[in-house]
Amino acid sequence: MRNLFAFIYRFRAFLVFVLLEVLCVYMIVRYNTYQGAAFFNSANKYIGQVLEYQSSVTDYFRLASVNTTLARENAALREEVMRNRLEEQADSTDRLDTLYYAPSDTSKLSPYVLHAGRVINNSVRRTNNYLTLSIGTADGVMPGMGVISSHGAVGRIKTVSEHYSTATSLLHSQLLISAKIKSNSTFGTVKWNGGNYRTALLDYIPLHIKPAKGDTIVTSGFNTVFPEGIMIGTINSVEKEQDKSFYTIKVKLAVDFAQLSYVYVVENTLKDERDSLEIETGIQPNE
Amino acid sequence: MNSSFGIRHIIQFILFVVLQVFLMDNLVLFSMGFCFIYTAFILFLPINISRVWLLILAFATGFTVDMFYDTMGIHAAASVLLAFLRPLILNLLTPRDGYDTNDSVNIHVMGKSWFTTYALILILVHHAAVFFLETISFNDIWYTLAKILLSTLFTFVVMVILQLLFFSVKRANR
Repeated sequence: MRNLFAFIYRFRAFLVFVLLEVLCVYMIVRYNTYQGAAFFNSANKYIGQVLEYQSSVTDYFRLASVNTTLARENAALREEVMRNRLEEQADSTDRLDTLYYAPSDTSKLSPYVLHAGRVINNSVRRTNNYLTLSIGTADGVMPGMGVISSHGAVGRIKTVSEHYSTATSLLHSQLLISAKIKSNSTFGTVKWNGGNYRTALLDYIPLHIKPAKGDTIVTSGFNTVFPEGIMIGTINSVEKEQDKSFYTIKVKLAVDFAQLSYVYVVENTLKDERDSLEIETGIQPNE
Repeated sequence: MNSSFGIRHIIQFILFVVLQVFLMDNLVLFSMGFCFIYTAFILFLPINISRVWLLILAFATGFTVDMFYDTMGIHAAASVLLAFLRPLILNLLTPRDGYDTNDSVNIHVMGKSWFTTYALILILVHHAAVFFLETISFNDIWYTLAKILLSTLFTFVVMVILQLLFFSVKRANR
């Protein structure tokens, strides 16, 4: 026994080292796979307060561009309201865009709820980027909800505390977004492979389709995270590689992630019903 | 370890973490060169600090940075590795007549070449650990290697600047 203690004492540094490293690896693995349970991240109350204080200072320097974005968005929304009102007056359902749902569709009856939030921490240059938002469970945010900005899809909520939440940005090596080419509704998956934060990849577009440069990519609405038709970006280049059965398509992202200031968290009021139905049927959620 | 150790190093800890989270987070060269200046806190701790203390302090530092960066465990793992290797590197670099009791990691006292070898090796190990843990895979290995090298140089240069500015010759002679 004495020898054992002597041994432990002699190699105490090495043992502490191994212990701490094992702890770290456990945290890395758990945080990467198990969603929602991590406490020590930037959604933590105190860390959130520090980050909010920081952004309250830096936000002053971006007020001009934030105001322009908000004003532009207001203009676009007013335009849409006016158009809808005119259409209502004319009652010309045949002129509705294909993006709108048919009236019999239940998803039109209970639309998505948007919660506006301020971005208080953001990164674009790491391999896995996250956002911290200044809204939390008190405002109705739940893990797994989608995050969009006025320009397009941004990411997905990962963890939530009472007043803060962290979101996996689209600029994360493990975030996949179900997307489609707007012109012909072919669906694929958008993901980001690191490097430039303005471009991402569109995968799984089969070779019989003819995607063209400049085509718009929008969300497919095939899962409960994003509504259908949220802008993701436009096609930058299309390449056909010899041994692949899919195109390699580069997408120029619509959102400038370095300029994010206000975002909307999308709440799907029918999420639970749809998810449990799909799981009951045996369909794996595709994200 | 007397009380002056505590206060001076607690202040250093806070300063380096604040510097890391508020300033260096926004400072990225060519979208490849990152500066993890908080490693300076671990590197600048006294030479004769006990190994266990060093490991625990390194873990605490890495963990704090992790919380702000949302990279659970990555910086903590790299920092603990750095703290484990630090005594070994110090042994390798022992001057001919051993370390004096009041020797500290100071570019004026230990000399330029000593400091360069000491800091570069440890920063390189730390950054390699961070970037490989981040990608996990060996895809894009050249991109990762370029990131490691550029970031190592960046951190090293900032660390030397800090040494020249704030670690005076006078204090070292005391």
